[in-house]
Amino acid sequence: MIAFWNRRIRSGILTENPEYDNEIVQIRKEIKNQVKKKFAGSLAIRMVDSGSCNACEAECNALSNPYYNLERLGIYFVASPRHADVMLLSGVMTFNMTPHVQDAYKQIPEPKWVISMGDCPIMQAPFEQTYAIKAPAEKYLPITHHIQGCPPNPKEIIEGLLAFLRKI
Amino acid sequence: MRLIARYAKELKNTFEIVTVWDEIIEKEQVSKENPCIKTLTKSHPSAIWFERKIHDDFGIIIEDAFDNRPLVAQERFPKSVYPMRKSFQEKNIDFADYHPYKYEAIGGDGVFEVAVGPIHAGIIEPGHFQFSQAGEDILHQEVRHFYKHRGIEKMLETKTLFEAKPIIERISGNESIAYQLCWRDIVLKATKSKLPENNRKYHALLLELERTIHHLTDLGFIPNDAGFGAALAYASKLSEEARRHLLTIAGHRFGFGAIDFKSHKLDTEALKHYLDTLEEAINFFETWIIDIPSLWDRFDTTGILKKRKAVKYDAVGVIARASGLKLDCRENDFYHTHGFKIQGQTSGDVSARFKVRLDEVKNSIEMMRNFSVETCEEVSLNSINNGVYSAFSESSIGETYMSIEIKEGKIERFFMRDPSFINWQVLHLMMPGNIIADFPLINKSCDLSYAGNDL
Repeated sequence: MIAFWNRRIRSGILTENPEYDNEIVQIRKEIKNQVKKKFAGSLAIRMVDSGSCNACEAECNALSNPYYNLERLGIYFVASPRHADVMLLSGVMTFNMTPHVQDAYKQIPEPKWVISMGDCPIMQAPFEQTYAIKAPAEKYLPITHHIQGCPPNPKEIIEGLLAFLRKI
Repeated sequence: MRLIARYAKELKNTFEIVTVWDEIIEKEQVSKENPCIKTLTKSHPSAIWFERKIHDDFGIIIEDAFDNRPLVAQERFPKSVYPMRKSFQEKNIDFADYHPYKYEAIGGDGVFEVAVGPIHAGIIEPGHFQFSQAGEDILHQEVRHFYKHRGIEKMLETKTLFEAKPIIERISGNESIAYQLCWRDIVLKATKSKLPENNRKYHALLLELERTIHHLTDLGFIPNDAGFGAALAYASKLSEEARRHLLTIAGHRFGFGAIDFKSHKLDTEALKHYLDTLEEAINFFETWIIDIPSLWDRFDTTGILKKRKAVKYDAVGVIARASGLKLDCRENDFYHTHGFKIQGQTSGDVSARFKVRLDEVKNSIEMMRNFSVETCEEVSLNSINNGVYSAFSESSIGETYMSIEIKEGKIERFFMRDPSFINWQVLHLMMPGNIIADFPLINKSCDLSYAGNDL
């Protein structure tokens, strides 16, 4: 265990992009002023995959690694739509997932927003319309903001979330 | 013989059922008027998903099957619609009436069912698990997937091999390069072209890097599911660094578009330096994690897959190797001369699968050193010939099999069998005797793909 702590001290802090910390202070101020009652300073996200290749999920998981450490900005991925403010949607809307995605959206308490990520939900990815796809997602859900990329890298996701926060 | 795949295709007057074994390929013709086949499940239980899929895709009846429930077509999918038939060309179908799916369940006093999914609590892909429980103990688990079914097989028909490439690399983000290598081998076979040694090494390097990234991610998530979060912080740092290295080499964090026939340059010095730091970090990780008894108390004897069962269910990949099977697509001269050693364990539990992943990362580092080449040249390809071509590659999950039939330069039938398609059917064998709280741990130790399975 001593070896572990030695290494821990030698590694130091890896988290990048401290500039977001300043930006988030601004954003937090905006949140507090504008949507104080809605968010109370923290944003809970429910990630829903409606038919992605798993790259978007991998990048969202990467947001919690020591390089990005998203939770320090007060943004959390939560386990249930009932705990969420925002649904983060990835993947082409498949025939089989569409009813379940709509169910999950219904479970999110008001007020609620949907952010789509990646090129799939807007059908910009190389995938084409087939019998098994019910895209684009905006036919089924009111999408407030879209984060582009195939997949968007963790930095782009953070920037996208900030852009969303400014928008509402 | 080991069953690799079983699928159907439509010919002019008949359907053809192709059964791919490790030694031979069997073909059977059935009439279109009354399409019926006999099941293989009595000797090879994992044939059942292939056969249920054949029924959903083509409407071919499996005469003596014990399980006739739909697989890909879910509750709201219209009846008697068989999308893989050539006559079916609809791009949009409406939701039909709701037909409930009858889950496998065990009855009895106090036995209850737990439904998990399709949307799960973590940031993971959708799929459904239905448990029959006696208190905390799992009696039985049914895996039900195909929520992410995108109709890739149909989507790729009538495309050329090069038009299909961007879609193929995005079928499963975890195995993009493995899929692309299958595609590469099929292009080479169809054009009767040869790949220079340096290009082969460069591609093999990318595959090993991709495998390393996903093994590192799992090495973090498996202990995390046993409540040891520090390992996730450590391993996710390593996997992020590996992913950034993939970005430097291939220009994409997931290697989309990485495998091609163009010339490439590689900074071997930077790679060597990176591999040295990774090796040091992974050796530290091993000595650290081996020394945490409470963690191994959770890993040992959890989710055992016996070798006998692994053989019976035709398991592949990490799962098979952790249960004592010597099964790896990289068992050939090319890999052996570059330092490949097959890794394996015999206990078949979570700890065996964890150790196999750890050993494979170490072996991959050694191989990546040998695959490191300064440059590789542009390859000129001949024209594409008609025929049926197939290829294998070893992704971080296991053996990937792709078969493409080409007619007049275009894809006539695309078939892909992800290692997960077999291994998901093996998962339920690991459950009895474990408590439901260990399910996430067992599931993560297998780390199967949903997207590749569902296509």
